[in-house]
Amino acid sequence: MIEWQPLILTFKLALVTTVLLLIIAIPLSYWLAYSKSKVKPIIETLVSMPLVLPPTVLGFYLLIAFSPSNTIGSWLNDYLDLQLIFSFHGLVFASIIYSLPFMVQPLQSGFSNISSSIIEASYVLGKTKTKTLFKVLLPNMKSSILTGIVLAFAHTIGEFGVVLMIGGNIPGETKVASIAIYDEVEALNYTMANTYSIILFAITFFILLLVYLINGGYIKPFKK
Amino acid sequence: MNVLNGKITAIETSGSLSIIEIQIGAFFFKTILIETPNSASYLKEENQVKVIFKETEVVIGKGTKHMVSLQNKITGTIDGIEKGALLSKLCIKTSVGIIISIITANSVQKLDLKLGETVTAMIKTNEIMLSE
Amino acid sequence: MIQISVQKKLLAADGEIKLNVNISLKKGKLTTIYGPSGAGKTSLLRIISGLLKADKGRIVVNQKTWLDTDKKISLKPQERKLGFVFQDYALFPNMTVKENLLFALDKGQDKKIITNLIAITELESLKDRKPENLSGGQKQRVALARALVRKPDILMLDEPLSALDPAMRNKLQDYILKVHKEYNLTTVLISHEVGEIVKMSDTVLILEKGEVIKQGNPFDVFTNKQISGKFQFTGEIINIKKEDIIYVVTILIGSSFVKVVAEENELKDINIGDTVIVASKAFNPIFQKVK
Repeated sequence: MIEWQPLILTFKLALVTTVLLLIIAIPLSYWLAYSKSKVKPIIETLVSMPLVLPPTVLGFYLLIAFSPSNTIGSWLNDYLDLQLIFSFHGLVFASIIYSLPFMVQPLQSGFSNISSSIIEASYVLGKTKTKTLFKVLLPNMKSSILTGIVLAFAHTIGEFGVVLMIGGNIPGETKVASIAIYDEVEALNYTMANTYSIILFAITFFILLLVYLINGGYIKPFKK
Repeated sequence: MNVLNGKITAIETSGSLSIIEIQIGAFFFKTILIETPNSASYLKEENQVKVIFKETEVVIGKGTKHMVSLQNKITGTIDGIEKGALLSKLCIKTSVGIIISIITANSVQKLDLKLGETVTAMIKTNEIMLSE
Repeated sequence: MIQISVQKKLLAADGEIKLNVNISLKKGKLTTIYGPSGAGKTSLLRIISGLLKADKGRIVVNQKTWLDTDKKISLKPQERKLGFVFQDYALFPNMTVKENLLFALDKGQDKKIITNLIAITELESLKDRKPENLSGGQKQRVALARALVRKPDILMLDEPLSALDPAMRNKLQDYILKVHKEYNLTTVLISHEVGEIVKMSDTVLILEKGEVIKQGNPFDVFTNKQISGKFQFTGEIINIKKEDIIYVVTILIGSSFVKVVAEENELKDINIGDTVIVASKAFNPIFQKVK
C-alpha cells in the first residue's frame, strides 16, 4: 500500500517555499538588475552558489548553524521558539536558500529585459518606484515570473541532500518523497521506490513541459 | 550656378520691387528683386554681394552688337566648349571672370561657335539673384 | 519662462565632452535642438527631466526651482511636471492605448482630459488596442497624448519622428503643432531635419560638442546668408544623375519630389542625403488652378 504522506509533504514544502521565495526574490532580483553597487557581484555570487555547491555542504553548515548548541540556533530557540533542524520550518528555510537562484535568475533577467525607457516613462509621468514595479514592470515580465515559480517549485520537489542533512527523516514532518524513495531502496523495497519515482518523474515532467509550452507560445494563459 | 562678387552701386525701389545695380570691375549688372532695403538688410549701397545666375539662363550672341531688350550684356571670348548630345557648355572669358552658359548643341552648330571667338553673354534682369 | 543652465561631463564616442548649456525657453514657444549625434542633445533633455544628474546647474520652471546644485535642490523626475516623448515611444505593452493614458493621470485628476486627448490625436478607434498592434505613427500619437495628460510645464520630444516615413512624419508634425497650440505648451524637440525645424519651431539651438554655438529663428540660423530668391525651400538630396552634359538633381521637399538642373561645379561638395536650400526667383514659377 502506497503511503501518500511523503508526497503530500513534498508538495506542501514546494508550495510554501515557492510562495516565500517569490516574495523574497522580487525585491532581491530588482536590486540585482538595477543596482550599480560594488557589492552586487558578491551578492550575485552568493545567490548562485547553491547551483554549484553540493547540497550536503549547504545542509551541513545549516545544521551546524541552527543546532541548539550554537549561538544562532539557541537564540532562535529561546527567543522565537523556533527550532530549525529536524523540523518542517527548517526544511522551508533550507529550501529557500537552495532554490533561490532558480527564482532570482529568471526574475533578474526579466527585469533587465524591460526597456529602460518604459521605466523612465513611468517616473516622468509622476509614478513612484513601487507603483512602477507593480503596474509596469511585473505585468511585463509574466513569463519570467512563471519560469521562476515553476523552476523553484520543481527544484524543491527534487531536493535531497539538504533535506537529508537538516531535516532528517521524521515521517509527517520532514520525510519528503525523495527521502522516502531512498528509504525504500535501502529496504530493498524496489516496487515502492518505483511508484514514488514514477509519480515524481511524471509530475516534474508535466510541470516543466507546461513552462516550455507557455514560454514557447504554444498555449496562452495570459489574456492579450 | 555662376557666382560673381560685386558691390551695390544703386537701388531704385517702387512698392516692394527694387532694381539693384551691382558693379563688378568696370561692368554693371542689373537685377530686379521682390525685396526693398527695408525688407532685406543687405540691400545697401556700397555693400558687397554675390551675383548668382544659372548657366541655363545665359543667352549667347555671336559678335558684340545686338538689338535686344536684355540689359546685362557682357562681351568675352569662348575659352572652352563641351559638347553633349542635346546640350553644350560654353566657358566665356569676360572682364568679370569666367561665365558659364549652357545652350542647346544645335545652337552652337547653327551659330558656328568656335574656341577664341568673341561672343556676348546676356542674362535677363529677372534671372539674377543676390546673396550676402 | 524656463531658465536652464547646466553643466555635465559626458562620455561621447569620440572622447569626453563638456555639456555647458545656458538657455531660457519662452512659455508657449517651440524650441528645437539641432546638432550632430554625440553633441549632448538627449543628455540635455534627460537632465531637464531629472533622469540624468547634472554636475552643476540650475533649472527654474515658472518660478519653481527644479534643480539648484548650489542649494542642493534636485527634484525627482516624479516631482517635475513634464511630458517626455521617448525615441522608442516607451508605451506600456501590458496596457491598451486608453489604459496607457489613464495610467498617466495624477491622483484625483479629472478624467475628461483623456477624452479630449484621444479626440485631438484621433485615437478613438484605436483606444482598446495594445501597443503591439499599432503602427509607428500610431504609437507616436499615443506617446504624445500620454505625455500631455498631466498638463506638463514642458513637453520634451526626443527625435520623435526620425523612425517614420515622410508622409507619416508630415502628419505627426501637424499633430505636435496642433497640441502645442491647443494646450499652449512650452515644447522642446530634438530633430535632425532642417525642413522639419523650419516648419515647426519658433527657435532653434544648434548644439555642438556640448555647447550652443548658434540660436535664433530657424530660417536665419540655417540660411547663414540671405538669398534674394523668393521661391525658397529646404530639402534633402535624394538622387544626382548625369544627363547629357548636365546633372539632374532630385530633391525631397516636404513630401514631394522636385528636380533641379545643375552644373558639375555646383555639385562639388554636394552629396546624396545633404540638406540644401532650393531657391528660384519669384519671376519663374507658374501656377494653375487644381480645384
